[in-house]
Amino acid sequence: MTRGLWIALATLALLPFASHSQFVANLAMLTAISAALGQAWNIAGGFGGLTSFGHVAFFGLGAYADAILQTRYGFTPWLGLPAAALLGGGVGWLMGLATFRAGLRGSYFALVTLAFAEAFRILANSIGITGGGSGILVKLHTSAGNFQFADRRAGYAAALALLALATFAARRLAVGRFGAYLMAVRENEDAARALGVRAVRVKSAALALSGALTALGGVLYVQSYLYIDPPTAFSVERSVEMLLVAMIGGAGTVAGPLLGALAVHAIADTTRSLVATPGVAPMLYGVVLLLIIGFLPGGIARFVTRPAHA
Amino acid sequence: MPPQITRRTALAAGAATLALPAVLRAQPATVKIGMIHPVTGPLAFGGSQCRLGGQTAVADLNAAGGIRSLGGAKVEAVPGDAQGKAEIASSLVDQMAEQKVAGITGCYASNLALAATQTAAKYNIPFSIDSGIADSITARGLPNVFRFFPNNTTMTNEAIACLDALNKGAGSPAKTAVIVHENSEFGTTTAKLLSAKLGGIGITVKEAIAHATPTRDFTNVVLRIKEAAPDLVLITDYPNEYQLLLRTLYQQKVNLVAAFSVSGGGFNLPFAKDQPQASAFMIDYNHWYNPHDPRALEFRKRIEGAGHVFGWEVLFGYFAVRVLADAIERAGSTDPAKVNAAFAASTFHDDWLPYGPTKFVGGQNQGARGLGLQIQDADIKTIWPAEFADAKAVFPRPKAS
Repeated sequence: MTRGLWIALATLALLPFASHSQFVANLAMLTAISAALGQAWNIAGGFGGLTSFGHVAFFGLGAYADAILQTRYGFTPWLGLPAAALLGGGVGWLMGLATFRAGLRGSYFALVTLAFAEAFRILANSIGITGGGSGILVKLHTSAGNFQFADRRAGYAAALALLALATFAARRLAVGRFGAYLMAVRENEDAARALGVRAVRVKSAALALSGALTALGGVLYVQSYLYIDPPTAFSVERSVEMLLVAMIGGAGTVAGPLLGALAVHAIADTTRSLVATPGVAPMLYGVVLLLIIGFLPGGIARFVTRPAHA
Repeated sequence: MPPQITRRTALAAGAATLALPAVLRAQPATVKIGMIHPVTGPLAFGGSQCRLGGQTAVADLNAAGGIRSLGGAKVEAVPGDAQGKAEIASSLVDQMAEQKVAGITGCYASNLALAATQTAAKYNIPFSIDSGIADSITARGLPNVFRFFPNNTTMTNEAIACLDALNKGAGSPAKTAVIVHENSEFGTTTAKLLSAKLGGIGITVKEAIAHATPTRDFTNVVLRIKEAAPDLVLITDYPNEYQLLLRTLYQQKVNLVAAFSVSGGGFNLPFAKDQPQASAFMIDYNHWYNPHDPRALEFRKRIEGAGHVFGWEVLFGYFAVRVLADAIERAGSTDPAKVNAAFAASTFHDDWLPYGPTKFVGGQNQGARGLGLQIQDADIKTIWPAEFADAKAVFPRPKAS
């Protein structure tokens, strides 16, 4: 990984703190959350080859865990962080054991994750504790103790902390023993098994780690926008964004999701601010993404650095 | 001979130049009003209608001399596309706060309004709700949030009263119902309220069927309705699903005493005109103008004359801006605290809705109400209550042939 790239990314990450604009801070926060979610997806999907179409399941579980604990039981929202991580990690672990023991891989695994997310969406719509279709509204009460910040820059700092955590985890995977096992399973599972790698356990652990980090993203969302309902918590669109961010940036690389999130959000926000005619901005966004995918099939990161597993 | 520049001319010119900034300063600053709606995505039709209403109100305000208490300051619309996403609606509030808007209107959908109003509360920006009808939008006690229009509880209570009056007036032919609703905040809350109240007017709910937005095939839903064989089908849906469901009911020849909706998203004039058979005799309890007020008929003619579709969302967008502008006018300032105070004390009555003088309690206008409407002869007619009716209700509807 080139040092220059990291210095550039770190400088860019600090720039919003110099601005007094809440709008800029909010855009930066959305980009950082998107990058963190993309990095979380990258841990399972990029390094492990576990292409998930339903990662939003973990996001939604984390969001609901946080919202339910504070609105129904009166716990501090800070407790939402470990609770969401445990729930996301636990569900990831169980989902991994259930699917990998059954020998599901590739597109079959992708479809199972999609089904999980949809099942959670329907469940959230149907049971009382989630507020059903009405969702859960978190009372506005800005204070650090309440994990609500009047200044968006504080929310951005929290999003950066999550991004740093996810990137640290990805970096450990790229250079560590567990990551080597995971990438060996991705490249050739049978060969890895023959060398003594416990494939089901390794893949389940990767999914658990990814699920825990994604669930933390759900907590940040709830604490920023103070409202969650099933379509927001479990939308397929968010799963696609996580995947897109990692793919565009470069799946299986440490810097990929960061570059992907920057590119995706820069394109989306630029087109939105430049074109007022309804519908044109999303269309332009789609065209630019197609061009990136067409001309940079390995992702942006491969232009500036070698793949982490190379 | 060229004109000589005398000392007097030079002094006059200098004085005029010095005075110019004062003249420029005398021009009142523009009053910006933010408008947050989903104008792309699945809610684009309703959102665009609200925006049209808001922009029409801005044009009318400027034509009438702007905000007089601010020296005739012109009103400027600052539109934003929420794309149906709560985080974008919230982000737009941040952006508009930096553009120094005097107030914001929006957001067509309740989930967008819930997120956007919380963010606006951080800045204390006056927020005039248009189409979001969830009670919780104003019930949270945010001092900057006002809704000129009725909330879900009012709409549902009055819809039940309307249905009861129509049913009893026809000798109570309807005794059972199936509720079909979309499964987000809007549909779920309304369905719950309806289920709780229908028993009180002698109607048993056989089943409540929830579906996602978007849903494009209602065959299974209609087959379940046919199996339950209710007298009534009650619908709470956004536009596309609403119309597709009614079209499927028509195609499957489902015999009903009536199809009835509360705030039916697809109950609009294009549907009535484009699909006269599928839409015929549909009854909706919804927002509408007072058909006896000539200003209302003129307004509708004006919107349609400009080549636009006229729907109740246009009224939402229009009056959300008008009532906000009235508050700014009375406040004589764009200071958020002053505008909020003026908003809370509003007695605005320059409207052609069936509301009467405005009175806000906890941000909710107490006089706001809907009307019982029915599609007859490819047009929307008011059928309840009698004081506002311009047509007689067809209840029960003719048998499907």
